[in-house]
Amino acid sequence: MFYRTAGQFKTSYTADQALFPVRQDAVLLIVILAFAWIIFPLTASEFTFQTLLIPILIYSLAALGLNILTGYAGQLSLGTGAFMGVGAYACYKMVTLMPWMNPIVAILLSGVFSAGIGVVFGIPSLRIKGFYLAIATLAAQFFLVWLFEKWAWLYNYNASGAIQVPNLEMFGVYVSGPQAASFTQYYVVLAIVSLLTWICINLTRGRPGRTWKATRDMDIAAELIGIDLMRSKLTAFAVSSYIVGVAGALFVFMWRGAAEPNLFDIPLSFRILFIAIIGGLGSVLGNYLGAILIVGLPVVLGIVPEALGLEIKSATVEHLNVMIVGGLIIFFLIIEPHGLAQLWRLIREKLIIWPFPH
Amino acid sequence: MRMTAKLLAAAVVAAVAGSTASAESIYAPNLSYRTGPFAATGIPLMNGQRDYINMLNARDGGVGGVTVDFDECETGYSTEKGVECYEKTKGKAIVTQPWSTGITLQVLPKSNVDKIPILAPGYGFSPMADGKVFQWAFNAPSSYWDGASMILQYIDSKDGLKGKKIAFLHLDHPFGKEPLPFLEKKAAEQGFELLPIPVGLKEMQNQSAQWLQIRRERPDYVVMWGWGAMNAGAITEAVKTKFPMDHFIGVWWSGHDADLDLVGEEGKGYKSISWSFPELDAPVMADIKKHVVDAGNSQSNEKEMQGVFYGRGVVISMILAEGIKAAQDHFGAAAIDAAQLRWGLENLDVTEERLAELGMTGMVPPFKTSCADHTGHSGGWMLEWDGAKFVKVSDLLKPESEAISALEVEKAKEYADANAPWPMNEECN
Repeated sequence: MFYRTAGQFKTSYTADQALFPVRQDAVLLIVILAFAWIIFPLTASEFTFQTLLIPILIYSLAALGLNILTGYAGQLSLGTGAFMGVGAYACYKMVTLMPWMNPIVAILLSGVFSAGIGVVFGIPSLRIKGFYLAIATLAAQFFLVWLFEKWAWLYNYNASGAIQVPNLEMFGVYVSGPQAASFTQYYVVLAIVSLLTWICINLTRGRPGRTWKATRDMDIAAELIGIDLMRSKLTAFAVSSYIVGVAGALFVFMWRGAAEPNLFDIPLSFRILFIAIIGGLGSVLGNYLGAILIVGLPVVLGIVPEALGLEIKSATVEHLNVMIVGGLIIFFLIIEPHGLAQLWRLIREKLIIWPFPH
Repeated sequence: MRMTAKLLAAAVVAAVAGSTASAESIYAPNLSYRTGPFAATGIPLMNGQRDYINMLNARDGGVGGVTVDFDECETGYSTEKGVECYEKTKGKAIVTQPWSTGITLQVLPKSNVDKIPILAPGYGFSPMADGKVFQWAFNAPSSYWDGASMILQYIDSKDGLKGKKIAFLHLDHPFGKEPLPFLEKKAAEQGFELLPIPVGLKEMQNQSAQWLQIRRERPDYVVMWGWGAMNAGAITEAVKTKFPMDHFIGVWWSGHDADLDLVGEEGKGYKSISWSFPELDAPVMADIKKHVVDAGNSQSNEKEMQGVFYGRGVVISMILAEGIKAAQDHFGAAAIDAAQLRWGLENLDVTEERLAELGMTGMVPPFKTSCADHTGHSGGWMLEWDGAKFVKVSDLLKPESEAISALEVEKAKEYADANAPWPMNEECN
């Protein structure tokens, strides 16, 4: 009923291959974008901005970066957290060395550094696969975090060893640092995330995405049909690390405001990997769904008892929260092992043929 | 005239409080960590804090006639959760008690914007003592640099510092690195050799590499800046490698009874500098027992209540309550707001007499804060593990305020410059 495709005829190949062959999908996207761009920012409180909207967007972007590498190109990586760190530290060094630099330009450029490092650590992927490659990326994870701790130049020789985000202005408005309003930061994050998502959708649907998928599904076959594996794998590492690096810069500059090296340690890598897996590998939408489940849900669950006026100790709430979120993750993986994106795909298909299933 | 007005106000407040069962209250949240990897050290501190406020609410009806709504927001010591809690509570909170160096670093720059005082007794960033720069942050009664200074003085009084080799075993984290600038400065001045030995967060439980280095280098003293699992790891490793325990001194967060219980008699002689001491016979402990524990309102237990950390939690809540009281007296209002509490914390005067009134003599040294000095530099005592509990083994040690305040001003300025534009409080001198 809601998803009736009757009457939507395709008269050309272009129309048939369009991003949204079903009109309702486009409408749905417009509604979501309207919420993200207009309704949420106008209605959200400081708490919602800082604990739901901004982090969900940033984590989604990081998971999207990982998904390019793991979901599309099939190269398992456990170094996401460290690559985020590269982006964050690169951005920090750029804005402190060159204070005149536009912060958004700095954030977008910081991805270039992590892309470079990503390619270097991607070279072993030409020889090793699967779990062995995961170990190689794990080495990157440990090495880079160690570097963030030991190389004092990276944090400008601060006694505490942590980086603090300075106040940065753009056209007379603070966009980062303690003086910046959440409202502004949200729009900066949203704009960058929207832009990169748009680019990723196009990349994955286009030639690079097809070579990545061919590499993922069977690399020998891909090589036989003329795909340059080295190029395919290394571009996947570069694009993925670029996005992850930008996400890392946003993570520190638009949200956290300060970061110590161990923030980028392996728990962060795992968290992002979980978002990508639960959301659905090889999907763009899945990253958002996964981030909503893993990042957003605990926050919402945490405020439920208080909203209902229940007298529960805050430590108990925290324990319950961990149990509920863990249970939900298992539940979703049992009913749909391919992630939330696949779950949505099935629901959508059922809706299209409803109320007359075959 | 003012007196009568005040009395009248108090009477009105009391009447209102009596009739509507505390319509007014002051919201003082605590970013607690009863879960996660540091829970073992967090729980006694949180219990001490909570029980003291509950005792005030039960015994006196709060502070100045208003109940203190002491709420906990669980962070599990995670910075991310900490920020979530901060955002959740900042709307009506009059104070932020961040409880982790990571969360403090995150909240510190926001304090000028949100205008809520940060109360971080004995932790956080040592330059926070400079009230001109850090208008909204308080780390009374003692900062990490005070602690380092007192430990050095103690060593100096025992063996002399010159020509000694001191290993500085610390957590490789902003918290552990905090006293380094001061120690380096003193090493150059007093001619001892400082050997920093970092312990990574992943190596906390297994410090064999670090203790191998200590055995090889044979330092005269080991000074430890440890937290959580690192303390127990270091103490058991020291016992294993037969390091003389009486030459092993920790900061106040490394003086947790449960860590020493693991080694018992063998840990005898281990020392920890502390600005708090659990006086079990203090009247305040009896009041807590009567009004909170016996009323079934405590989450603590008898053994925990005898520990150093529980007592420290009580002292921390006392500092908050005294800040509230100072603000109430000055502004003549019972339900104070965050800006008024800032004034209160800036004008704390906890004298020996006041401590006696509070029934807390000997639990914390007297101290006084001011506009320019947000720490108070109370000094502290050297505590020693006697095999079953910590006992005081020194008189009150005082930090070398001059050397420290010069460094504080220098580092505070660096911080302000890096975070420009940073508002300064020009009023104090």
